[in-house]
Amino acid sequence: MSGLQAYLVLAALVFAIGLFGVLTRRNAVGILLGIELMLNAVNINLVAFARFNGDLGGVVFTLFTISITVAEVAVGLAIVIAIFRVRRTVEADRLDLLRG
Amino acid sequence: MSAFTLELGLAALALIVFGASLVARGSDRRWIAGLATIGVLVLGIVSVFVAPTRPALGGMFVQDGLAIFAKRLFLAATFIGLLAGISTEGAACGRRAGEYHLLMLASLLGMLVLASARDLILLFVAFELMSIPLYVLAGFLKREDVAVEAALKFFLVGSVSSAVMAYGLSFVYGATGTTDLARVAQTFTRSQPLLILGLIAAFAGFAFKIAAFPFHMWVPDTYEAASTPFVAWLSVAPKAAGFVALFRVYFEGMGERAATWVPLAAGLAAITIVAGNLMALPQQNTKRLLAYSGIAHIGYMLVGFAAASASGTAMVLFYLVAYVFGNMGAFLVVEAVARSERSEATAALRGLAQRSPLLALAMLLFLLSLGGIPFVAGFWAKLYVFWAAASAGLYWLVLVGAVLTVVALFYYLVVAKRMYIEPPAASGGRIQVSRSLALAVILCALGVVALGVYPKPVVMAALRVAAPLF
Repeated sequence: MSGLQAYLVLAALVFAIGLFGVLTRRNAVGILLGIELMLNAVNINLVAFARFNGDLGGVVFTLFTISITVAEVAVGLAIVIAIFRVRRTVEADRLDLLRG
Repeated sequence: MSAFTLELGLAALALIVFGASLVARGSDRRWIAGLATIGVLVLGIVSVFVAPTRPALGGMFVQDGLAIFAKRLFLAATFIGLLAGISTEGAACGRRAGEYHLLMLASLLGMLVLASARDLILLFVAFELMSIPLYVLAGFLKREDVAVEAALKFFLVGSVSSAVMAYGLSFVYGATGTTDLARVAQTFTRSQPLLILGLIAAFAGFAFKIAAFPFHMWVPDTYEAASTPFVAWLSVAPKAAGFVALFRVYFEGMGERAATWVPLAAGLAAITIVAGNLMALPQQNTKRLLAYSGIAHIGYMLVGFAAASASGTAMVLFYLVAYVFGNMGAFLVVEAVARSERSEATAALRGLAQRSPLLALAMLLFLLSLGGIPFVAGFWAKLYVFWAAASAGLYWLVLVGAVLTVVALFYYLVVAKRMYIEPPAASGGRIQVSRSLALAVILCALGVVALGVYPKPVVMAALRVAAPLF
């Protein structure tokens, strides 16, 4: 396996673990962690491509995705706190007021 | 004028609104809403005079015809959405008017930049600037359990789709070694598995944002629970921005090779039309009904996208204009009725024609436009996307779309029947509509009728801006 391929496989694994977490976790915070893993897989990909393409664009892209991820997770946690205040639970199964 | 006039103006407006919310005192701060609305109106007028310029920031930021067309549309939709929201009831909307409008303007800024982005990094940043405020706005009524639940669902689905999109974009960057979309388009061929994989993953991310089936599950819940003027805006403006981004990534500079996406887009269009229309049939809540019908409309727009031609792209742009007026108008009438009836069920519309004939007439116009009846805007929109798809040889897709239009007409006319044939509830008198909301409804109705009677100028403008893409 060449160097680049190893990184891509690692990123794909991290992405798959994150997606698995999103789909199977029942707790909203757990789902958030899964999303975080998926976005970190993107960062591994970008940095590996930047290194092997000899181009700095990917590193810049990574800096942007990191800061956007922080903003996204901050909003996500705020929503989780808001939902806990109203409903006293963050279990995704019990958030079922909206149906149809 | 510089290429950034609108963006700088909007950023300044957002800062003014932020400053106003810092100095505002008292529990009723609705004047901030007026400030934001007037600011967006001024920007909308300025946008009429904005002319295409050369690409800025080393080709990252393009102010071409497509970008300007889209920006005018976003500003118009936001103006109508803000105008309708001014008189929203509830203490939270009065006290937190500053936050609400700052978030709306931030999201709008994301859309404006997105329309001009021709670089993967700028595209992603603009996309997130557009999306993140929407999650907060969906849960703005934070004491209501349904609103926060809808916000959480919207957030989870939205951020997973962002992650999938970013993963796809990372492969696009890896395969081409550049973040410049113009150079990506030049190097694009069908024999690059990594690039194709990346673009398909990114397509899934975009499909989430425009709410195509099977990525639509956040739509009905969010629409039902969030405040209606915001939903009216959410149902049109981010969708339009998503389509502009699709054109930039998948069509611009691709020429003949754009046909690569025809099977993917045509398949997605067909299942979105079928699923959206069939799921709309049993709905008893008008906002949920409009949510599912909105999914179906995204499918019709994807029909134009699937044509992968300049005329197809132009017809999607025209469809978006017609959809902004028709769909926003329908949501705003629901809001007007809900403010007096405290109900968003279709049953609340019973006998509307006897209680408030003008409101019922406006709703009928919007429903006919959404249904695609001649001489209102939606008819031309559907006809043109079908025509574009037929000239690309997608006859089966046109057939599917046409058959499902009849299904759609059925559930729109059921609502019309409730308004015109069923008697009103015993307690029902005339419905009081606040002036700002009435003005927003009138603007939408004028748009629907004007586009229906004389669509030519907008069609010509759309054709003009779409031609250079191919």
